[in-house]
Amino acid sequence: MSARATIIPFRPRPQKPRKLISNGVLGMILFVFVEIMLFAGFISAFVIIKSRAIGSVWPPPNQPRLPFEQTAVNTSALLASGIVLFIAHRLFQRGNKSIGALLAGATLLGGAFVALQGVEWLALIQEGLTITSSTYGALFYTIIGAHALHAVAAIGALAWAFVRLTGDRLSKEALSVVALFWYFVVLVWPFLYFQVYL
Amino acid sequence: MALTAGVLALALTAAFPEALYACPVCFDRDDEARIAFLATTGLLTLLPLGLVLGTGAWLRRRARELDEEERDEE
Repeated sequence: MSARATIIPFRPRPQKPRKLISNGVLGMILFVFVEIMLFAGFISAFVIIKSRAIGSVWPPPNQPRLPFEQTAVNTSALLASGIVLFIAHRLFQRGNKSIGALLAGATLLGGAFVALQGVEWLALIQEGLTITSSTYGALFYTIIGAHALHAVAAIGALAWAFVRLTGDRLSKEALSVVALFWYFVVLVWPFLYFQVYL
Repeated sequence: MALTAGVLALALTAAFPEALYACPVCFDRDDEARIAFLATTGLLTLLPLGLVLGTGAWLRRRARELDEEERDEE
């Protein structure tokens, strides 16, 4: 009997392609970066124009003051919406699929924010603050309007996620993408609120 | 020739630095406006760098976590 060594061919263990982050989430992160820079540009323009106001009077004479206290209610609704979505997101990532009420709550609170903003805008227009009334009005409607547009789009995305959830077709990645967008809308607001309204 | 032109340009800019003032920051006499210009310039310069570096650091941490998970599985 000859002593022959048995040769076992080396087969490396098949490796799963490792993904640090899903494509959808990466895409949303890049999009949010672009949006952060957009709002940073808006805030910069606002700060510079405010600093060069004639006689350092801001808001300009004959223009209504922005309702800082009233907008605090809108702000609370938006922040609460962000917290509710954060809880829903965490639960869903851990495998809990019964987040329908939380997702609906976050969407409704976001809707309440936009609706209250609409009411506030109507009052301001009646008081004479329009996009053409002054640089102040133009800046206000451009900056806060851009944010409102983002909020409306994100509420649409949240509603889409809710519909997918009810049909049991919502993936963790899809919810993460929608949630990232909403977190951006929520977190950028305090900067705008304290900069523009105060 | 190029060296001479370079030296001449340097000498001129040293002699007349006001000619290089290309942005309104340098001309504004109002302190508040100047501070606003500088602050927003800083913000718009550093913010994208912070975003990219922050994401890089987060991805690196995530890669380490995945490495550790793989090691634990083995």
